[in-house]
Amino acid sequence: MNQRILAVSAYLFRSFLFSLAGLLYILLALAYYMVLFDPRQLTPDPDYYILVLGLLGLALSFLVTLSIAARANNASHFPLIVRLPSRIEYLTAVFFSSTLYASIIQFVIALIALVANGPSLDFREYLLIPPLWISGNVLFAVLSLHATDLVTAGWSRVYVFATIGLLLYLQSGLDVLSDWLSNLFNQFGNTLLATGLDALATLAFDMANLFSEGSSSALGSALSLVFWPFKAIVEAAINGHFTPLQALAPAFLMTYAALLFVLAAKFFSKKDLFLSE
Amino acid sequence: MLEILNITKRFHTLVAVDNLTLDVPQGEVLGVLGPNGAGKTTLFKLIAGFLKPDRGLIRSSAGAWPTIGYKPERLLYPNHLRVHEYLNMVAAISNLPRGRIKKAVSESLERVDLTYAADKRIKECSKGMRQRLGLAQAIIGDPQLFLLDEPSNGLDPEGQAEICRQIDNLHQEGKTIVLASHQLQEVTQVCTHLVIMNQGSIHYENQMKAALAERPHTRILVNRDLSTLQSLLMHLHHDIELSDREIVLNYDAIALRPNVLRILLSNGYDIIRIEQSRVTLAEIYAAAVQ
Repeated sequence: MNQRILAVSAYLFRSFLFSLAGLLYILLALAYYMVLFDPRQLTPDPDYYILVLGLLGLALSFLVTLSIAARANNASHFPLIVRLPSRIEYLTAVFFSSTLYASIIQFVIALIALVANGPSLDFREYLLIPPLWISGNVLFAVLSLHATDLVTAGWSRVYVFATIGLLLYLQSGLDVLSDWLSNLFNQFGNTLLATGLDALATLAFDMANLFSEGSSSALGSALSLVFWPFKAIVEAAINGHFTPLQALAPAFLMTYAALLFVLAAKFFSKKDLFLSE
Repeated sequence: MLEILNITKRFHTLVAVDNLTLDVPQGEVLGVLGPNGAGKTTLFKLIAGFLKPDRGLIRSSAGAWPTIGYKPERLLYPNHLRVHEYLNMVAAISNLPRGRIKKAVSESLERVDLTYAADKRIKECSKGMRQRLGLAQAIIGDPQLFLLDEPSNGLDPEGQAEICRQIDNLHQEGKTIVLASHQLQEVTQVCTHLVIMNQGSIHYENQMKAALAERPHTRILVNRDLSTLQSLLMHLHHDIELSDREIVLNYDAIALRPNVLRILLSNGYDIIRIEQSRVTLAEIYAAAVQ
């Protein structure tokens, strides 16, 4: 399996490297460096260096995966796919080549930024970088797979990104939503009370009370837990080290990535392959 | 070797393959004929696993991986690669040990007579070379089952003959081949089994030899008009057909050939030509897709 995945990955990587799109991402990354790490300006702080280059990695992982998956979604690859015992090997190769390509560009830009006018990082800060960047890159590459024609099956990409959008919206606007739902159930309870349905009215008031708890409710706690790894990573970067609890954050991100990859693999292995010509 | 049981594939309201059942034994060369849109390519994509059947089952007992060598209808390749680079990659994903890859690539190039183009970029290859490259990549890894979709499409007669030779070689090695083609001569020449599809289902299926032995007939051409003998000859057998100067004895009526000849000679006719014929594949095809 390793030989097959490596062969397809190497082919996709090389094809992309020598393509116009591949070159474009290198130029974009250089432009990003020139704007945000201008050597003529003040030396950046370590947290700025870690987070801004981390963001570059996330963006590159997402965009490069979109591009490589688009190239992989070509009918010239039918004779290759038929030779793989499982389609998932092909998907793994797309993911692997994309993540590697984005990470290499990120690493090179990080090296240039460090040598040209970089902050002096201590040992703990150096240790912080690999798990933080790699977990983010992996997660965004897998997320990007769901946006591609290669993986999407039916409305799958709408479902995946709508769910993520909903979670983000709930997380940011939970208090507003809770107030609205609380008022709604209160009004509903009053209506039920007026019609003499006391038992149902009590249930509606209980629901109103539950929602009035807002971000401190069980839903709020669950959402906070979902988005905690991102918060923890930013805090760790600012502090320059992981606390024992924050050290789990990259592992959480890798778990999200694994779950999303399993979902992508499920879509890809069950769908009809209509590769573009 | 390959067993297809009641498969159906729909694309929205279009039924591309309709409750199709087919058994391809080991070592057979199955020719799949049919007009455009008959469902041949869909059938191939179902066998190759690119499409999932809505209903039914496809079973293959092709053994060790890689099980299938696939040459698609369209000659699409990663054009920026050189011929040997492409084949190296195909070999690398075909479970060949690293040490065997180079040898397998050179063998496959040799088999399709493409060694001279190993260093050429694929985009520089002619159509004939691309067809042979399609066959070369299918051969690598020694799969037991070959799916060849229009393998000689667009080739000159010499190129077609070369592809036929290659398919025949694979057949001699005991490989199972499923071949879709519009080239009736090619199918007649290389296939041992014949299937004619139309509108997603099988309209005709037979062993090639048996198919071509069907509906034998004898044609007798004489020197002048046969109208004076029409009623006499037509009463001999219902499988006798008459045109101006030609008599066709179909099926059982062939046994009456001595009688017919005697009648013709005794009535002063000269026999210009007697021709023993079988049905052609074109006739079988036309009858099946009507």
